[in-house]
Amino acid sequence: MILFYNPYGMWTLMKREVHRFMKVYVQTLISPLISNLLYLAIFGGTLSSRHVTIGHVGYLKFLVPGLCVMGVIFSSFQNPSFSIVAHKFQNTIMDFNSYPLSNFEKLVGFVFGGTCRGIIIGGVTYGATIPFAGAWIAHPILFFLSLGLVGITFSSIGVISGLYVKTFEGTNFFLSIVLTPVTYLAGVFFQVSSLPGVLSHIALLNPLFPLVSCVRYMYLGVSEGNILVNGIYAVVVTVFFFAAAYYFIKKGVGLKY
Amino acid sequence: MLDNHLEILNGCFCLLGGYVLEIKGVSKCYSNGKKQALKEVTFHIKAQEFVALLGQNGAGKTTLINILGGNVKKDGGSVKIAGLDLDSQELLTKRKIGIVPQEISIDFNFTVLEILKFQSGYFGKRFDKKYAEYLLEKLSLSDKIHVRGRFLSGGMKRRLLIAKALIHDPEIIILDEPTAGVDIELRHSLYLFLQELKAQGKTIILTTHYLEEAEKLCDRIIMIKDGEVIADESKQTLLNKYATGQMIKIECEKGFDPKSSILNGYDLKIVERELSIQFHKSELSSVLEKLTKLPVILETLSISQSNLEDVFLHLTRKGGELNDTFL
Repeated sequence: MILFYNPYGMWTLMKREVHRFMKVYVQTLISPLISNLLYLAIFGGTLSSRHVTIGHVGYLKFLVPGLCVMGVIFSSFQNPSFSIVAHKFQNTIMDFNSYPLSNFEKLVGFVFGGTCRGIIIGGVTYGATIPFAGAWIAHPILFFLSLGLVGITFSSIGVISGLYVKTFEGTNFFLSIVLTPVTYLAGVFFQVSSLPGVLSHIALLNPLFPLVSCVRYMYLGVSEGNILVNGIYAVVVTVFFFAAAYYFIKKGVGLKY
Repeated sequence: MLDNHLEILNGCFCLLGGYVLEIKGVSKCYSNGKKQALKEVTFHIKAQEFVALLGQNGAGKTTLINILGGNVKKDGGSVKIAGLDLDSQELLTKRKIGIVPQEISIDFNFTVLEILKFQSGYFGKRFDKKYAEYLLEKLSLSDKIHVRGRFLSGGMKRRLLIAKALIHDPEIIILDEPTAGVDIELRHSLYLFLQELKAQGKTIILTTHYLEEAEKLCDRIIMIKDGEVIADESKQTLLNKYATGQMIKIECEKGFDPKSSILNGYDLKIVERELSIQFHKSELSSVLEKLTKLPVILETLSISQSNLEDVFLHLTRKGGELNDTFL
């Protein structure tokens, strides 16, 4: 297995992926930011005026890391998946077979673009909430690192989706039917343990829950569940999806016939 | 380090006049198992050759090119590019080849300059703006350098594909129908450019349906039919072997019946007043002599030699519909 064969080529792909979403920044950066601010205004504004607290934390403060992680999830998924499907649409996907790039370098290029976009959205969302929720973060470096981990995970899922589906409709289907409900039920807007009866136990099995929980811990200093378990789980999930995406590229799914 | 040594070794190998492309027994059957796209295809191409890869639609040309480009996995056989094995040294071989695909594949969101910058980078090369400008000038795209891919016309996109394939300065250039949709004037400037590339020492493989293009540019012709190589010769040998026919067209008086004249015995066709006489090229002088003895006034006369198109039709047509006299 060759990891690095053409680092300059990989760097070019990384730049290209970032350049692509920066070119259409209204669609890729401004639009999700506005959505997140609307969530903050509607849920945060309404509930915090009623002095709702979760544990010992005000709802607005509780909501901020959830919104950040949600922004990272959607953006980092969308960037590689839409980019790869666009390559298919433009016929440029086949070009990737003729470039002297190792499978690992191709994967890193796409995942880097998605992770960058995710971290930018997460960071800007956090920045936009400062006037309402304050700037204080319990573990600032770990907070951004955990957002990065979420970004890598969902960029890898985005790569798999992009390679597997043939059209933009396929990507949108995955996004709205799978990713959105799973994200909403991972404790972005509420405490999972507050769900009634058996649902709270089922929700704990949501693979996204430990990721959200980790990010929330880094922001607030407290979260549901054991942070060590959730942290290890988050790393394992990231490695799993990254390896799965590598396998898809190596097999040539959606690339070779 | 090892890569550098291999590169040097294979550079020496090419200088010594070895084959830059060796295809041995390559087969491909598409997954449904119904279509055997390539059957034990074997041929070799020397450095600096200009080869035409010809065949009807579906003959297997694009499949072969896709195997070289890494888009299609071959079922059997071996491929060596500049002495490097495609299976075991795949990444090394990729720098050696520049492929102009049949289908338009342009990044719509980026400008011509950005597309070339990225393309160069993917091959691990720093962007050489002067070389890019040279390519764009040769391909009449200099004024489109800041235009996004989506706003280029079909012909411009096709020329940009050529620039994309050349930006990393490959040794072997494979052009899969590069002139489809390109107007005549630009097509001719492209021919000059391809000849210039050959003079620079590039090896060029061209597939085209414009056979006059292949006849004009190429030194060697490889014809594929139903996934098999049916001809592999130098252009001249192929023409000498098969294109032995000549045709004279004359316009004669109305009511003239050639079959009752001294021309009877030749392959004759008459459409209104135009008479076509087909014969072997060795018979030219005797045909001309007979024409002077005809009791009619000849208004116009033209002589044509059978060409690559006739050879192509002869070799690829099924059921022997061909008029062998002309060939």
